Amino acid sequence: MKNKTRFLTYLFIYLGFGMSIYAQSLLDKLDKEYPETPQYEIATFKSTRIGIGHSIENRKKGVLQVVAMNRYWNIPNRPSQSFVADKWSARIALEYGISDRLTFGVGGTTLDGIFDGFLKYRLLHQQKGSGGSPISLTLFQNASYKSKRNRPFVDVNVFDDFTDKMAYTSQILIARKFTPQFSLQLSPTFIHRASSAFDEDPHNHFAVGFGARYKIGGHISIASEYYYVVNPLKSIETYDAFSLGVNWEMSDLMLQFMMTNTRGMVEDAFILQTPNNFNLNDGNFIFGFNATFVLHLSQKKL
Amino acid sequence: MNKIIILILLLITITGFDTTSDQFMTRQGQVSFFSYTSVENIEAKNNQVLSIIDFAKGEIAVSMLMNAFVFKKSLMHEHFNESYIESDLYPKATFEGKIIDFEPLATGVQTKMVKGNLTIHGITKEVEIKTTIENTNGTYRLIGDFEATVKDFDIKIPPVLAPNIAKTISIQFRFEYQPYEK
Repeated sequence: MKNKTRFLTYLFIYLGFGMSIYAQSLLDKLDKEYPETPQYEIATFKSTRIGIGHSIENRKKGVLQVVAMNRYWNIPNRPSQSFVADKWSARIALEYGISDRLTFGVGGTTLDGIFDGFLKYRLLHQQKGSGGSPISLTLFQNASYKSKRNRPFVDVNVFDDFTDKMAYTSQILIARKFTPQFSLQLSPTFIHRASSAFDEDPHNHFAVGFGARYKIGGHISIASEYYYVVNPLKSIETYDAFSLGVNWEMSDLMLQFMMTNTRGMVEDAFILQTPNNFNLNDGNFIFGFNATFVLHLSQKKL
Repeated sequence: MNKIIILILLLITITGFDTTSDQFMTRQGQVSFFSYTSVENIEAKNNQVLSIIDFAKGEIAVSMLMNAFVFKKSLMHEHFNESYIESDLYPKATFEGKIIDFEPLATGVQTKMVKGNLTIHGITKEVEIKTTIENTNGTYRLIGDFEATVKDFDIKIPPVLAPNIAKTISIQFRFEYQPYEK
């Protein structure tokens, strides 16, 4: 009796075993054949900028980006006849991928005559699934030179020597793509201003940036950014920079439309020297429009 | 007595179900696709396509990772995966079917129809593909091409970009099979 039950058990195991082999389709077999190479998340953000500030994204080697950033705003209490907006500032920049990880960029802004150069290095890639890095990390360093005084506003730096007009921003950009739609970025920032016109202003500033994007379609996403300054300037009243907008990607062209409270387009300018809060009043409301054109100077051979 | 029966059954299992000798496989299959329009030509190639043929049943299966496609322009790779094929949600494209009237032992070139289910972007379509099969000294080579309509696989193209992407994409494949070993 005992033997018989044992025999039956074995028989069932045997049948089950046999059937499980038989049920295995060729596709299941192929699934097991995939080599275990790490798969990395791509496009945590579609563009190298979330809105006003940099995202963790870099362009690949041999890719040149031509960036035109524009800000439009009205002058308050002025019976304006201007077309669309009273004031306009633009930053034209070139950004080139030296390697898949390293990008070099230069730009010039019309407002305040700011010239800036930056290096951006992708240190970590977020890996899909378990194992590997759960985040993406990019290091950012820029230097900016302010060539013009900003009348009628008070200038917070000295204009005597070349070095007086410099400011340096270092950022650690940390981001994670939580779902195919949703990505979040945290950007601890350190800004050093080479000179100060007022003794009460610190030379070194700390700030934290928060950025997020939500994809609402294959090509369109909503992106928002906010920079909190830990030790702001004391001589003038400043506010934290904020932006909310839409990113629209179409092939080689990336369009970003945003509402913001800052006119600045270089890190130290918009993080530290935003003189107004975010609201819809003239002078405070700024419409931003970035157009980024991507040129592949070197193409892969297939 | 029972033990002997079990032993016999086990032996049958090992020999009877060991069909590996009838199976041929490739890990470096090539699949490329082309989209030709007056605005832009798009071309991509995947050199890491997996495929297996079961000669006993005349069955064939193909599986590939969508993000293994290489494009001439690096940004196209990103857009292909992110905006069109959505490889986060649908990482693979697969094909499972039968080679009709396949003669595994015939040497030289034979042209056969392969009929089966093609799955791209999570959508399965029945397709029939004319395939050239070449048998040289126990290795098999499958070459062929076919066309797929973008609309059939629910791949969304915004109206602004519609002129850049062809309505039908031509797909070429080339697989060289070796006997499958575990």
